[in-house]
Amino acid sequence: MKELEMVILGAGPGGLAAAVEAARAGVSVTILDENPKPGGQIFRQFHDGFQVTSPGMLGHDYARGQKLLSEFDTVRDRVELLDNAMVWALSEGNELAFNRGDASYSVRYKKMVIAAGAYDRPVPFPGWTLPGVFTAGGAQSLVKTQRVLPGENFLLVGTGPLQLALANQITDAGGRVVAIAEAGRIENWLGLMKGALGQWQLIGDAAHYLYGVRKAGIPLWRNHIIVEARGRGQVEEAVVAEVDKNWRPKPGTYRTVEVDTLCVGYGFVPSVELTRLAECEHRYEPLLGGWIPMRNGHMETTVPDVYAVGDCTGIAGSLVAIEEGRIAGLAAAQRLGHLTTMEARERMARSRERLAGLERLREVLDRISVPRPGLYELAKADTLVCRCEEITLGEVKAALADGATDMKEVKRMTRMGMGNCQGRMCGPAMQEIIARERGLSPDRIGYLNPRPPVRPIPLGVLAGHRELQ
Amino acid sequence: MVNRRVLKGVKRGKAFEIEVDGEKLVAYEGETVAAVLVAAGRRTFRWTEKKKHPRGMYCGIGLCHECMMVINGAPNTKACQTMATPGCQVKTQHGLQERQR
Repeated sequence: MKELEMVILGAGPGGLAAAVEAARAGVSVTILDENPKPGGQIFRQFHDGFQVTSPGMLGHDYARGQKLLSEFDTVRDRVELLDNAMVWALSEGNELAFNRGDASYSVRYKKMVIAAGAYDRPVPFPGWTLPGVFTAGGAQSLVKTQRVLPGENFLLVGTGPLQLALANQITDAGGRVVAIAEAGRIENWLGLMKGALGQWQLIGDAAHYLYGVRKAGIPLWRNHIIVEARGRGQVEEAVVAEVDKNWRPKPGTYRTVEVDTLCVGYGFVPSVELTRLAECEHRYEPLLGGWIPMRNGHMETTVPDVYAVGDCTGIAGSLVAIEEGRIAGLAAAQRLGHLTTMEARERMARSRERLAGLERLREVLDRISVPRPGLYELAKADTLVCRCEEITLGEVKAALADGATDMKEVKRMTRMGMGNCQGRMCGPAMQEIIARERGLSPDRIGYLNPRPPVRPIPLGVLAGHRELQ
Repeated sequence: MVNRRVLKGVKRGKAFEIEVDGEKLVAYEGETVAAVLVAAGRRTFRWTEKKKHPRGMYCGIGLCHECMMVINGAPNTKACQTMATPGCQVKTQHGLQERQR
């Protein structure tokens, strides 16, 4: 079977940075990415057909993405990028399986860097399955790179500076943002961020977005949470309420807002299905988004030859992902014999310095945005918690009453997490909700185990599975 | 006819038509099937198996599978990850249909 010297899973900021450093050191690099173009979610590029006429209007992330992508261009001839490739199994003997188009392949690798990124935290609340309820990232992908507005009147609910960014993008595109409901204590943001010295770039972004929100006259409801979305067949109104410091609604503060579109952004969840498949050890870290793989200072996981970088190892944003990617790329290059220990250490020095600076900012953002208990108390007995298999919270509670003790038993008894999303949508919230029901901490109730294929693949494609040539 | 396309900042590619449940919709090169539907104000992409509830686009990055439709005869196809092509045939999906797992 063909053996790749280094395979990188994901062409977002972390994966691209790893590829740049490793290729510069002389490693032969192969990247597998699900999308038609590199960039990941944050640096997502336009599809062919679109022509960007004024890049200045497309925001800071777009400009930063272009910078990394042009760095990637300098090594492009030394890197093989397989786009539209979906990894569906990792097995012993450094072997992986992926599908691309109508074909499925196996290949071996010497070193692997997992840079799988993150996704919007799904939060179950009454009405969250109605058409017109989008994750903040889902709405953003439409506005940013497809240039369509998913509605007319928007309510943004969630936490963190990204809500402000989305409000700016929607307004700039001609949509009406009726209000932003921010669950956290936003008045402290800028002050706290100034405490994270040296990160003027990001403070500048947040201040710029806050200015845009004020200029557009968008009401910013501090300490407010989504309670319910209502409507016949689609969102027609939303209910929000003021919350205490645990994000629990205060009686008498409920208000109904007429909107057709709800964007929900309560932070992100690391995508750990690949590090799980690789059998890396994980720990539960609420401040970083949930389950994350354990790593050493070289970004190596507990499994030999497997590195992990960026948001899939704990939510920290693209700037951290880039520096972690560089370190992993260099560490792997050194292990493969392309760099001496000294050379690798020297090339890592700047990234280590930057990471130290970013660490303080990350702590500040975590403190502002980590979900509080009230977020996991919004679902009612008849609220669906598993969107795919249409399982309600009541059914999950019944399974617990019938003796289910952990995530896997609830899955077996109710089918929660057995659908097409493979537990990505229900898992994160249910980890918290079931733990609370059982009076245990979330790391004591197991997790929904991904099983290959981790993404649905047509049987015809699997039947033609072969070795990569 | 609703048109939620944003003109600012970009120029679109060639225009063509796709057919959604028998209705002709304008699409542009580079747009996903989901974007074409969203631009036309269309909200419901499928109806669920058990409770017959309407579902539309949710995560937008190919993870949640809420936007599954029957595209060119293939059920369970994610509209947010499928590029619109001239003449492409899109149908609302009912239930899970010949689930291929």
